[in-house]
Order: sequence, then structure tokens, then C-alpha cells
Amino acid sequence: MDRKIIWRIVVIVAVVAAAALSLSQRNINLGLDLSGGIHLVLQVETDDAIKAELDDAMHRLVSQAESEGMALSSGTADQEGLRFRVEVPPDVDRSGLREIAGDFLPEYDVSVSGTTWTFTFKPNVEKNVRDLAVRQALETIRNRVDQFGVAEPVIQRQGLESDRILVQLPGVDDPTRVKEIISHTAFLEWKEVVAGPAPDRETLLTRFGGQVPADAEVATGDRKDLEDNVIGRDYYLLKRSAIVTGRDLRTARRGQGQFGEAVVNFFLVPAGGDKFAEFTSTHIGEPAAIVLDGKVISAPVIRSRIRDEGYIEGNFDIASAEDLSLKLRAGALPASITYLEERTVGPSLGRDSVVRGVRAAVAGLVIVMIFMLVYYRMAGLNADLALVLNIVILLGAMAYFGATLTLPGIAGVILTIGMAVDANVLIFERIREELRVGKTARSAVDTGFSRAFGTILDANLTTLIAALFLFQFGTGPIKGFAVTLSIGILASVFTAVFVSRTLFMLVLAGKDRVETLSV
Amino acid sequence: MRIIGDTNIPFLSYRKIALTISAIVVLIGLALIFAGFFNPHLGIGLNFGIDFTGGTQVIAKFHEAPDLARLRASLANLEGGTPVIQSFDEAEKHEVIIRVENPEDEEGDFTRPIIDLLHAEYNGALGDRFDLNTQGSQALTLELSEANPDGVEGDGEQIEAYYEPMADAVLKYRKEHGIFNSVSELDEVAELSAGVRSYIQDEDGVGAFSLLGAESVGPTVGSDLKRQASLAIGLSLLGMLIYIWIRFQLPYGIGAVAALFHDVIVTLTALALTGREINLPTIAALLTLVGYSVNDTVVVFDRVRENLRLRRGEDLEGLMNTSINQVLSRTIITSGTTLMVVLSLYIFGGDVINTFAFVLLIGILVGTYSSIFVAAPVALWVSKLLAARRERRRKAGRK
Repeated sequence: MDRKIIWRIVVIVAVVAAAALSLSQRNINLGLDLSGGIHLVLQVETDDAIKAELDDAMHRLVSQAESEGMALSSGTADQEGLRFRVEVPPDVDRSGLREIAGDFLPEYDVSVSGTTWTFTFKPNVEKNVRDLAVRQALETIRNRVDQFGVAEPVIQRQGLESDRILVQLPGVDDPTRVKEIISHTAFLEWKEVVAGPAPDRETLLTRFGGQVPADAEVATGDRKDLEDNVIGRDYYLLKRSAIVTGRDLRTARRGQGQFGEAVVNFFLVPAGGDKFAEFTSTHIGEPAAIVLDGKVISAPVIRSRIRDEGYIEGNFDIASAEDLSLKLRAGALPASITYLEERTVGPSLGRDSVVRGVRAAVAGLVIVMIFMLVYYRMAGLNADLALVLNIVILLGAMAYFGATLTLPGIAGVILTIGMAVDANVLIFERIREELRVGKTARSAVDTGFSRAFGTILDANLTTLIAALFLFQFGTGPIKGFAVTLSIGILASVFTAVFVSRTLFMLVLAGKDRVETLSV
Repeated sequence: MRIIGDTNIPFLSYRKIALTISAIVVLIGLALIFAGFFNPHLGIGLNFGIDFTGGTQVIAKFHEAPDLARLRASLANLEGGTPVIQSFDEAEKHEVIIRVENPEDEEGDFTRPIIDLLHAEYNGALGDRFDLNTQGSQALTLELSEANPDGVEGDGEQIEAYYEPMADAVLKYRKEHGIFNSVSELDEVAELSAGVRSYIQDEDGVGAFSLLGAESVGPTVGSDLKRQASLAIGLSLLGMLIYIWIRFQLPYGIGAVAALFHDVIVTLTALALTGREINLPTIAALLTLVGYSVNDTVVVFDRVRENLRLRRGEDLEGLMNTSINQVLSRTIITSGTTLMVVLSLYIFGGDVINTFAFVLLIGILVGTYSSIFVAAPVALWVSKLLAARRERRRKAGRK
């Protein structure tokens, strides 16, 4: 046999073997639309973080000054101007205050105008605060998802400096619950209860003459009966500043109380533990409110001094204790989250799509193969073989590159089946033409292939151009389509031009004169 | 076997009537699309889906054929306007799709209220029993662990580890069947212990529906997607134009682009007339069609170019006719095979992919027609125009 043919066969076997090998070793990733799952795009409201940072800085300054005997009046935070103001009475030691500001608020510029001191973010601080908020939210969501035990979750920032987070969780069978846990904007705080619970606002505020005291705020929580049904609303008057927040929390988990009932155990980081210990030692017998997103979820009474370990009891069943501990554990998101996009595909719909897609692909494949066989006889067999190899290479390449197969991707495979034979058709028609003008089989094959090659290149490049522009859709099913279509086109050029040519060479090899060719 | 023998059809003789018909169709299509675009209340024109307009849709499967009027009534108080409710996929599957605009272009979680209203309407009888049709395996594991019907000893984790495989098996059944019609179907789930099976059958319930999918696209993402889609279409058309400009002479480039424009407009018109929704996969299909249309045209032009080299001096119209006839059988066979697979996708692919297949189906038919009856005539016409201009210049120069 001709050396050239052996060479070609080696290349073909190597390519097909590589494809088959990668196919046997790795599964093709199924997209969310086939595996079922949830795709969320969330936006972190970084303005919240800016506000929190300003409030916190102001609070730190005022309380530190107070501890050194300087009474400042709390001022106002100006979120848009990235600054806050405090009023400094004339008797306050100014150089001492400057020292405190330098030590405790190094990221602020101070400007003094009369008794008003204005603290403004230094350049870049804003960007850092926003960036940190997004990264922290990312971490928090990652934590929550990990607890959920989802295999191969995608949790990433969309773009380096964006405030958007992409979450993709394949194979989830209860999207509602996942969504609840992921996106719960759990801003968690423990706050001192000044008054309450009361059935309404008026009752709550009677002691204060109907006015909310300056350092307090009104919050509400659901009142529940023993069966956990909401039967009304409780009003609380809480201290504005938190004792500890979710940031001080190390972890929390569901546990069992004395009588076997479900409780939530929580553990604080040392700094948080100090703050909590200081508070609880002086407030035994008083309630402290656990506030989630501004809503009081529980106001347990402090039974003893708690440093870094405590538990919350309150009518939990296992699921609700688990939920609360998850929320606590995931910590407070530094900023709230807004949904921009949600796509949930139930597992049964995804499965249905796979079944139908495969059915359509097989039906299409069989019809095309039979047609080619009938129309081109032996050459049709050649084309069919090329087609099968094409699909093996396509799937193998997808597995190798870790490409994701989506529903439009399946459509892309099916389309490839139809279009891949185009190259073969171009060649065969050309060979037939050459035979008709009286060329020998060998020269007809040679001219057919060489003449058709230019056309095949031109024709496939156009589809490839279209497919490449689909990539810019970034994630999602469309990208999957573009990937399969592009790989399919490349594979089809290889199989039609190289594999089919080799098969023809094999048929013609060893015969000096070939008069007839089955095409 | 041959379907098409040596033909000699004078395709270009029909160019006036063909171009006239095409022009009329394109103009009507454009009128329809623009009228619909500027007057959305007319209900004509392109029907953009939630990917581009923003909005929420939920697909649910019911035990029995859902009463659309009851559904509509139950969702009447939804924020964001009147929902559109249609049956989804084959009627015997009892599936519905619910679509609604998001309230005043807000961002947020808008699938939740729909699901809550459905629960309130259909699952009242369930009380607080565990719903096997909407809750997941993790929740079921927790529920079973708490009740512990098999009396497993050990700490929480060990108990959960015991019940988890059973919960997964129950959910696997739902994945395969789409919905539990009654708790007695649990008899078919072999992995369950007798205690667990009877516990679930006694204590848990099956709600009236299961959720197949839910989507919500907010205005930010919607406008992002719109921008990306226009960009993708615009750039790919530009890419084609540049490619053809490099590979062929000007008249052929103009012919190919005219055919491309024609195919896209006719397909969009078909979408507008059938009221099908335009979503991301539809855009993918349109771009594929763009590729296919040019592909088909390129094959014809390639042959014209080859013949121009071989048969110098021959009249261009006759040469184009010969070329079209020479590639005719390829054109028909390739269109045929592609059409076969797309048809198979159209028939077997299901509702999710149906519009995608529809676009390709129309596109392939129109694309094949336009390579012969739009691209070639336009190229011929422009060539003649250019030749006439050259002739005039030559004459003017002689004087």
C-alpha cells in the first residue's frame, strides 16, 4: 500500500482515538438547561456598605472620644458626599481629638469649619469599600452554597470591578429553597432592647411621650403561636447601634437543648466575644433582639454572661433551626442584594429536553445517513463514515475542552449533522461532473477534491464567522451553541476533506485502472 | 441515483418577477415590523420575549388538565399587570406557562409571588404537610430525620445520612415523571424502607402542581442582552460583508448582502406573523441562518467565478445560469439534508427549542431560494450597471 495512505490512516486513527479517549475519560458537562438548576445574577448594593462604613466610623469616633472624656454630638452621614459631620463643642481638646481621628480613622481627611468637623473618604477608599463589600458578599454566598452541598457550583464576580455576582447551581431540585438561602439579604445584628414587645407603636412609645428617643429605633417582628403560625406583630424599641453584628460571628449550628428541642448554637470571634460579654454581664434578665434585615426574628432573654458561645431557643423545628443557623453562619452580608436575573430549570424539564434532543438528533442522523447511502451508494457509505467520525470528534473535543452542552448546543450538533454532509455533497457532485465529462475515476476524484476544496473553505468560513460572534453572549446556552457549531464545522472540514479523501484513496489503491466508481 | 439531471433552467430570465415578489415581501415585512415597533398596542410586529423586554415566566405541571380561567383568576392580584397564561407543550402533559411583566421595571424576585399565589389557590388542602411536588431532597431529608420513622439511633448527622438516599430516590422519581399524582406512587420507589414509605404516605402530601422552570429577567439584564444581541447581529453581518468583499468582486458582495438582508427580513416577518417569541435562542438561530444563507450564496458565486476564468467572453447572464444549474443538485441535496435534520428538531425537539427550529426551517428554505433568485440577479444587475458606466466613460473619453 502507498506510504501516503498509511500516513493518512495513522493521522485519522490518532485523531479518532484521542476523541474517543477523552470521551471515555470525561463526561461532557451539561448546561443548566439540561441538568436542571438555577442561574442567578445578583447585584450587591454597595451603597449600603458605604453607609455602614460611614455610620460605623462615626460611631467609633464618638465612642472613643467619649471614653477619653470628650462629649461630641453625633452628626450626620452624607452618603453621596462620602463624608460625615460631627459637632465639636468648644470645650473639647482639639489636638486630642485630632489624635484620636488620626489613630482610629486613618482613611479619612478631616476639615474643620467652626465647631463642625467634616470627615471625608480619602481617595480610593470608596472603591475599596465597594470592592470589599462585593468580595465579602461573594464569600458569604459561597459559604451558604457550600453548606447546601451542591456539586460544582459557579459563584463568581461578573467582571473584575463589577458589583454583580453570577451564581449557577446545577442539579438543584428545590430552587425556591436555594434561592431563599442564597439571596437572603441577611444583615444580622444583636441589639439592645429598650422597650417592648408591645402590640402597637403607640403602646410601645407611651413611656417616651410618643417620641422615638434619639439613639433608638422601632423594629417589628412576627408574633407566632405554638404552631409557628403568624398571629400578629410585635413592636420593639431597639438601641440604634448594634452590640455585635454578623461580622463578629464565628459560626452557628443547629443543636439540641436540654429537653431535646431544636436550638441554634452560636460562637463569636474573640473581639465580638469581648463586646458581647461586656454587654451581657450588665444586662442579665433583659432581652436582646436578634435582628435580621431590620426585622426582629427573636428576642431571647439573656440568662447569663455570654462571652463567645451561646445558644438561641425559640420554638424551632429542625428545619427552621437549620435555616436560622445557616443564615447566622453565612453571616451578615455587608450590603443587601438585588436580583437582576433568575433562570431556574427544574430537573424534569432538563431531562425531558435531553431525551427529546437525543431523539431529534438520532432521527436526523438516521435519515441523512440513509439518504446519502441511497443517493451516492458506496460513496454514501464513505460520507456516512465521515459523518459518524465527525460526531465522535465533535463530542470528544467538547469533553476535552470541558465545553458545556446546552439545549441550543444539541441543536448545534443536529445542525452540524445536516451541514457536515454538505462538504461531502460538494465533493461528490464535483466528482460526478468530472466523470460525466469522461475523466477516469482517479483523476475525477483528484479534480473533484481539489476543485471543491476552495468552495468548502469559503462556505464553512462564513458559518464560522457567524458562530464566533455568538461567543460574545458570554455565558449561557447561546455560548454552548456557538461552541458546538464551531467545533462541528472544523470537524466536518477535517472528515469531509481528509477522511473521505483517504477512503477514496483506499478504494482506488492497488488498481492500475479503475473504470467505474460508485458515486 | 440522481435527482437532478443535467438541467438548463434559465433562472435569471425570471429575475424580474422573482425580485419583484421578494421586494414586496420584504417591504410588507418591514412595514409590519416597524408598525409593531412604534405601536406596541397593535399586537403586530415582533414579539420580544422576556430575555429582551424583562419580565417573569413560570412553567408548571399539573395533575390534571389545568383550568386556565381558574389560573387567571388566582393570579389576578399579581403586581405588574395581567399575566399571560398558555398551555405549554403537548396538551396531555398538563403544563402551563405563565408570563407577566415585572412591576414598573423593578429589579427583584418576581417568580416567588407567582408561586406563592399558586400554592394559595391549589394547595390549601395540603395545610402544612410536606409537599412532595415542590420541595426538594434536602428538605425531605430534614423532615424525615426529624420524624425519624425508622427510629435510627445516633447523632443528627448519622440520622441524616440514613435518610438522605431515600429522599434522593423520591426526588429522582419526580425528576423522571415530572410530578407525583398521589402518594401511592411511592410504592414504585424501591429504595424506601417500609417505615419511611408509610410515614410519607400518611404524613406528607402531593400538591396540585410541580415547577418545571422559572425565569425572571430584570430591566438591567434585559437591556444588556438587547445590546449584546444587536451587537452580535451587527458585527456578524459586518464580518460577512468584509469576508465577501475580500473574496469576491463588488457586485457579488452586494448580491450576497442583498440575499442576506432578504433572508433575515423574511424570517423575521414569519416570526411576526406567527407571533412567536424572540428570545436568546432565536437570535442564535438567526445568526446561524445568516451563516447558512451566505454559505449557500458563496457556493453559487464560487462556481460563477470559476466559470468566469474558464469561459472568457461569454455573456454573464448565460454564464450565471450555467453556474446555477451546475451547482443545482448540490444546492438541493444540502438544503434537503439540512432541512431533514431541522425538521426532525422541529418535530421531536419540544416546545423549548421549537422556535429555534422554526427559524432555521424558514431560513433554509428562504436562503436556498435567495441564493438563486436574489443574490445572482442582484449581482448581475450591479455588474451590468457598472459595465454600462464604464462604457459611457470610455465613450466620453474617446470624444
